Amino acid sequence: MNLDQFNRILRQVLILPVVALALMAAALYWQMHDANQTVNLIQASSGWINQAALVQRLVVDQESGLRGYGITGDAVFLQPYFEATNRLPAIFDGLEAGAGTPEQKAAVLNLRGACQEWQEGFAVPLIATLKAGGQTNDVTLNLQGKQQMDKIRLLETAIFRSAAARRDQRIRQYQQQMRSMAIYLVLLAVVVGLMIGLYMRRQLQQVSDAFRKSLNVIRQRADETFRSEQNLRTTLASIGDAVITCDADGKVLTMNAVAQNLTGWTEQEARGVALSKVFEIFDESTREPVENPVAKVKRLNRIVALANHTVLRRPDGSEILIDDSGAPIRDQSGALSGVVLVFRDVTLQRKSQAALLANEKLAVAGRLAATIAHEIHNPLDSVSNLLFLMDGQATPEESAEFLQIAKQELSRVTQISRAMLSLYREAKAPVTIDLKEMLESILLLMDRRFLDTGVTVATDLPPGLQVRGFPAELRQVFTNLLTNAAEAAGEGGKLQLIVHPAPAGFDENGHSLPSGAVVVISDNGPGIPEPVRSQLFRPFFTTKGESGTGLGLWVSKGIITKHGGTISIGSDTSEEHHGTSISVFLAFDPVIQLGGD
Amino acid sequence: MSKREHLILCVDDEVVGLHVRRILLERAGYKVLTAPDGPSGLEIFNREPVEAVVLDYSMPGMTGDAIASVMRQSKPGIPILLLTAYVGLSKEITSLVDIAMTKGEGAPVLLQNLNSLLRENQAS
Repeated sequence: MNLDQFNRILRQVLILPVVALALMAAALYWQMHDANQTVNLIQASSGWINQAALVQRLVVDQESGLRGYGITGDAVFLQPYFEATNRLPAIFDGLEAGAGTPEQKAAVLNLRGACQEWQEGFAVPLIATLKAGGQTNDVTLNLQGKQQMDKIRLLETAIFRSAAARRDQRIRQYQQQMRSMAIYLVLLAVVVGLMIGLYMRRQLQQVSDAFRKSLNVIRQRADETFRSEQNLRTTLASIGDAVITCDADGKVLTMNAVAQNLTGWTEQEARGVALSKVFEIFDESTREPVENPVAKVKRLNRIVALANHTVLRRPDGSEILIDDSGAPIRDQSGALSGVVLVFRDVTLQRKSQAALLANEKLAVAGRLAATIAHEIHNPLDSVSNLLFLMDGQATPEESAEFLQIAKQELSRVTQISRAMLSLYREAKAPVTIDLKEMLESILLLMDRRFLDTGVTVATDLPPGLQVRGFPAELRQVFTNLLTNAAEAAGEGGKLQLIVHPAPAGFDENGHSLPSGAVVVISDNGPGIPEPVRSQLFRPFFTTKGESGTGLGLWVSKGIITKHGGTISIGSDTSEEHHGTSISVFLAFDPVIQLGGD
Repeated sequence: MSKREHLILCVDDEVVGLHVRRILLERAGYKVLTAPDGPSGLEIFNREPVEAVVLDYSMPGMTGDAIASVMRQSKPGIPILLLTAYVGLSKEITSLVDIAMTKGEGAPVLLQNLNSLLRENQAS
């Protein structure tokens, strides 16, 4: 649940009760309005009854006035009679107008008629008679008057009864309304209360769910963070490489066990100390200090591999060869917040690498030993035979001839031994090498081998192509490549050894290449399948089983790289064009990368 | 040195070596036939009454041991001396011939070996 949702719930929680209570008030108001109307009706009924009572009283006034006048003959007694007679028509009008039902109206009209009848049929003639001084003891008239008055009384009583009944009904209606209003109120209160309650409950549950969920997420995050930190700590502690982390100012923050071991500093001692002090490094050959890795990472703001041949000096003065790299640590905004330094002791690795290189050199020699023995023993045999002949009964002419042959054979031996020696005697600095000369002397050494296996070598070696480099190393490379080619070609195979100049240009990766020469060695062997091809330059990878060291191509690549050259393999395993072709590019005047191997 | 001229067959792809060896053997009183490779050597061996063979081991096409085994099949009694420029040939190869020796051991050793082979052959 986000903040918007939460605010919406808050709004709903406020608005709903207000709306519900407003609705309830409206219902209440409507009910009260109804009740008021009923009360008005009751009041109207009461008013009407009072009017009817007034009629009754006025009729009594008329009768009493009339009777008093009849007895006394004094006109004063007639005054109430006339007063009542004057007032009655208006009151009857009011009753007629206020009648609630047609029956009531009819009853009022009847009463009015009866009153009229009594007035005109009894009262008026009686008054007139009395005024004229007549007698009022006419029995018929009096009886008629009494009958009429009885009728009036009856009608009045009926009107009262019906009016009272109507009023009672209205009162009952009012009471009913009040009761139902009370019931409605209670029901409405319960329903609205329940509604609001349930709604609130639901909304609050949502909020509480959301809260619980966020709480869980936070707890989970905290757990994960803790776990991942433990993970990293364990990883860092158990990693085989030395790891030092620094802040952006180059002060040491943490060191793992290997780092403590290699630098000779404990983490407690080193924490907060400048890295350049804990990690004192300089160049192996020049003994010049090497740029502080933190400074270098800050300067380049990327992962850096530090200089080759770096030596780390420890507090006790001992030194170890290390191989190291530094990487920036960035904060969320991408700014550098520290540097991680990873390094390892390569003293042993360097020694074993040197041993491997020596081993490979020996292996190349070993592979050639047999042919060399053969090449030397053959002329040696001839020379010793010739000497034996010259020692015996040979004429001076014959001796001269034998001497000549012996000299030739000896020069062959010299040539072979020189070619062999040049494979091992290394120059201290790069020298100019004539490719044709060098390749021919290698072919000379390998000639017997090719002959024995019936391998023929077609060459195209143009004169005058010279490169600078270390001849023994290059001899080792080409001896190696030619041996591989001959073995791949097998009995009766065909090799090609071609050298051609390569003008300055670009390789397939777009790197610029200086001008130089390319030596191409091709064979018509079965070819190398793709999965094997990609592994060829790895150390200890061999396709020759027990008879190979698996180092030849690895060493060759190292030597060529050191000479600033490149080596590449093309191969075809198809039925028609099978074979492998190795191209070695050597620059005429390369920048020799010392220690590149 | 033998009174009678024995007929020796020399097979070697080394032209100079073969030439010098021929002179040496002729001076030592042998009649010498030469062949530069296995097939022509076998042809001469089958045609001529060769009494001993001096055979080079390492030759293109057909090596000494292969030639020797063919010779043993046609004329098993003829002694064969295997000359090799390699050191340490395997037992399987050396057991095919009567004597195996390394080139450069010197002419006296070769002559002595050849002589003893012929003598043994005559004696048997």
